[in-house]
Amino acid sequence: MIAIEYFIGLSAILFIIGAVGVLTRKSAIVVLMCIELMLNAANINFVAFSAYSGNMNGMVFALVSIAIAAAEVAVGLAIVLNLYKARDTIGLDEVNLLRW
Amino acid sequence: MALDYSALYPVLVMVIFAAALPAVNLVAKSSRSLAGVSVVGILSSMGFVIYYMLNGYPAMMGGETVLLLRLDVFAALFALVFQFVALYVVLASARYIEKDRHQAEYFSLIMLATSGMIVVAMAVDLISLFVGLETASLSSYALVAFRKRDKRGAEAAVKYLVIGGMSSALSLYGISLLYGITGTTNLEGINSGLAAMSSGLNPAAWLAIAMLLAGFGFKVAIVPFHQWAPDVYEGAPTPISGLLAAGSKKMGFVAMFKVFLVALIALKADWQILAAILAILTMTIGNVVALQQTNIKRMLAYSSIGQAGYMIIAIAVASQFAVESSIFHIITHAFMKGGAFMVVAALSYVALGESIADYKGLGRRAPLVALSMGIFLFALAGIPPLSGFWSKVFLFSSAIDASQVVDQGWMVWLAIAGILNSALSLYYYARVVKYMFVDDGPTTERLKIPLSLSAAIAICLVATIAIGIWPEPVIDLCEQAARALVPLLG
Repeated sequence: MIAIEYFIGLSAILFIIGAVGVLTRKSAIVVLMCIELMLNAANINFVAFSAYSGNMNGMVFALVSIAIAAAEVAVGLAIVLNLYKARDTIGLDEVNLLRW
Repeated sequence: MALDYSALYPVLVMVIFAAALPAVNLVAKSSRSLAGVSVVGILSSMGFVIYYMLNGYPAMMGGETVLLLRLDVFAALFALVFQFVALYVVLASARYIEKDRHQAEYFSLIMLATSGMIVVAMAVDLISLFVGLETASLSSYALVAFRKRDKRGAEAAVKYLVIGGMSSALSLYGISLLYGITGTTNLEGINSGLAAMSSGLNPAAWLAIAMLLAGFGFKVAIVPFHQWAPDVYEGAPTPISGLLAAGSKKMGFVAMFKVFLVALIALKADWQILAAILAILTMTIGNVVALQQTNIKRMLAYSSIGQAGYMIIAIAVASQFAVESSIFHIITHAFMKGGAFMVVAALSYVALGESIADYKGLGRRAPLVALSMGIFLFALAGIPPLSGFWSKVFLFSSAIDASQVVDQGWMVWLAIAGILNSALSLYYYARVVKYMFVDDGPTTERLKIPLSLSAAIAICLVATIAIGIWPEPVIDLCEQAARALVPLLG
């Protein structure tokens, strides 16, 4: 059996890639993809912990959160598409009407 | 074993109405009739909650291995708060969106968002908590983007989506670490798992605390995770800004209470000081930045951030009295801040601008509405005998009470910072009142506010004044709720 540290390491790397992407990328679509990476990193954790402890709740949580992530992308893409229609751009650095 | 669904009835009623609204739209075309149907849905859901409050609560819902939802006095109290918020938002929206398309979906999303909030209030497991949070968040992303042609609305929705998505990802990762440490997602199970472990520095638990604090910090907009809130509140349709400030934000606090004060209470020495620093930063920055705002919705958003700082005091102090006072403040804030947003919605419906300077001379143009706005703002500032005064007194005295305990002397600074901030906030609230009643506006033409918007304002006004004059029953309920949530705290 593969040691659990590898799974945790993989999920930590995925999570960091996602977090850095959210903070640095300008395109709303890429940012959405990075958020997905972060959510999936958590799912890897759930499944790995669940498989190693023999407790099924983690698997259930992973399934639930996959469904939620799908819903989030559906709403998210619609909102990004709407931004493109309204403002002709999806660059997060170019949408700056609202600021103090 | 058959599942007992009775705890879920208040939520199911809302979901059924939400699903039925688009069909109702085939017969009832006007936004007013759709709002009427939504009001029926909210009131019947409220009826279930009140029935359970009077006649005993239903059994906990869940299977043999996972308990999911429990309707107790804490959940019922917050369910009622969320339903009242939904009620006045729907009433205000009846006229506010009358010229927009997709009205049925709008009301349907409000009902879904509210049902998600109620699920959060009932959750006893992180799975149900997360599902409730996301149900409410996804619906509110769509609601912020409701006016599709509005450039600012489209921008606000994208900002809200990105921040909200990141905050869910952070909290989900934190939850996954907690699950790895303790092997359970049940809130009380996590607590006993953590308490049973050897004390000392546990890096995974630390990381989980940091992730959860950041994730929920974004949801409730505490400094330094607050920058999105003013943008989103300004860009969203005004009744929805009210729903976000009075509903979504409170839901974030409920989730925070459950995670920190129930699941992570064994580690409270690790996060108490951090929460106290965040509380003081949040109230100070929120109030200081609110001083220089020229847009009324942005000003209310920053004042909301300041008020969130007061509510975090409960997490920093972590005593039963503090939780009780924070619940009380959440309730009073839901009505005073919601009421202020409803006044802004009513005034922008009659084509008054959203700049604070536009409110000059309002006292002559719409005396009753200006008077209610004045009452909401003074309640937010904490002027007796309005509701906001009592809840602030309770919060600050809970911090002073807790500072009497050995090693907790620093907590008195929370109360001092809170009192100084209240004095500071009076300045920008009083400025709006001065504009409305002392200054002369460019015109004295009367403004006519439609009935449904006045009704929404009236609900908030009655609650703000009634809780101020007669706070005992509400305080009583808050005490029971705090005892139900955190039976172990002193």
